[in-house]
Amino acid sequence: MAPGVERSFTAASTLEEAMAARRQGAAVLAGGTWMMRDPRRGVDLPEAVVALHRIPALSKVEIEPDHVVIGAAVTHAVLGRALHAAGFEGLLTAAENAANPGIRRVATVGGNLCALDFAAADLPPALLVCEATVELETFEGPKLIGISDFLKDRHALLAEAIVTRIHLRRDLVASAHIRLPLRKAGDYPVAIVSLAVDKDKRCRIAVGSVEPVARRWTALEQAMAADSASAFDPERTAGLALEHNDFQGRDGKEAEGWYRRQVLAPLVKRGVAALLKTGRLV
Amino acid sequence: MTVIFQLNGEDCRFDGDPMTPLVDILRQERFLTGTKAVCREGFCGACTVHVDDEAVPSCLKPIGLVQGCAVTTIEGLSSGNQALHPLQANLEAADAVQCGMCFPGMVMSLSAFVRDNPHASRPEIKAAMVGNICRCTGYERIVDAVADRLEQARKAGQSVGGIHV
Ligand code: FES
Ligand code: FES
Repeated sequence: MAPGVERSFTAASTLEEAMAARRQGAAVLAGGTWMMRDPRRGVDLPEAVVALHRIPALSKVEIEPDHVVIGAAVTHAVLGRALHAAGFEGLLTAAENAANPGIRRVATVGGNLCALDFAAADLPPALLVCEATVELETFEGPKLIGISDFLKDRHALLAEAIVTRIHLRRDLVASAHIRLPLRKAGDYPVAIVSLAVDKDKRCRIAVGSVEPVARRWTALEQAMAADSASAFDPERTAGLALEHNDFQGRDGKEAEGWYRRQVLAPLVKRGVAALLKTGRLV
Repeated sequence: MTVIFQLNGEDCRFDGDPMTPLVDILRQERFLTGTKAVCREGFCGACTVHVDDEAVPSCLKPIGLVQGCAVTTIEGLSSGNQALHPLQANLEAADAVQCGMCFPGMVMSLSAFVRDNPHASRPEIKAAMVGNICRCTGYERIVDAVADRLEQARKAGQSVGGIHV
């Protein structure tokens, strides 16, 4: 920032106010746990920011009989306390185990989805298997987009939008979220496998932290659907995971790419075992 | 930008960059050096303070987000003239402190935890400490002290914490 220039900080109390600041070029500040580390990554903090924490509609979790709506400014800790609805065990595990307790009290759902370079984020794979819909407020008005497309295109999408809410259908019978940190907890997971089973007993699987952006493991989902004998057998599903591993592991501080890729089959095995343990697959 | 907030029960005003980390204001402007800036990345917990009664890392909290909030630091938990916070007394009794670098953050995290979780188990105490790194103690005596605090509070039938934190 040029010397003598005062940074602009807007604590928006309405979405309109937030969008007005956004149009003026302000960057969105959520909990701050990612942005505040920009200087350590060699990136200057933005000259103008708009904070969303004062917008009441973005800080709510609404649990309805057939759907759930999560405000973008909801923290991991609040989500962990609120989301006690059958089928969402995986998302609950993601919210309750990401980072550490202090960070979870501050870091938000929207922030987790919008941190573009954060490959090890816990919520994207968990939301991928929920087939979540992301609601954006764009310069042209509100827009709904599937989580897969959002994650693929978010760089461009977020240039003129704010994530406002996440919508989930309540069509899951069970889900699980398996993360592999190098220590027992507190650091970034080397790899994450999220799994969910819908009412038709179809299994959805997503992987985070292995590639730069989380994605569905469609090759494995198709292999499981085609192999009726696998029927949620952990060993057999792990075999299919080995056979259909189409991930390119990213090299990073915590682990090299080959290792991230290698651990996927054992994590799938643990994930299927966790699904079985819910007792809801029979 | 001007930010008004409560600091250890007193009105506090800050004029300057709204993205300044709270920890820097505490240490450099208010000389409250109990709060430590160690990793500045949210990993170590040495900078933990209470913001509106929640234990959070102050290294990642831009002061702009603190407008209108109540901040409590380790100095506000118990001044030198008062009795220690009950958890501090238990930590002292267990001889848990070694170099002390991590302790202000450890106490801020765990004082909020014992207040909110009077029936916590040992694994739950350990889970609450995940974001507070200690390089000296091996943690077990800290866990013992927290377990003692909870047990004493339960026996006394009092609300854990004893004083509002
Ligand atoms: S200095 Fe804030 S968490 Fe380490
Ligand atoms: S007592 Fe030395 S770091 Fe904890």
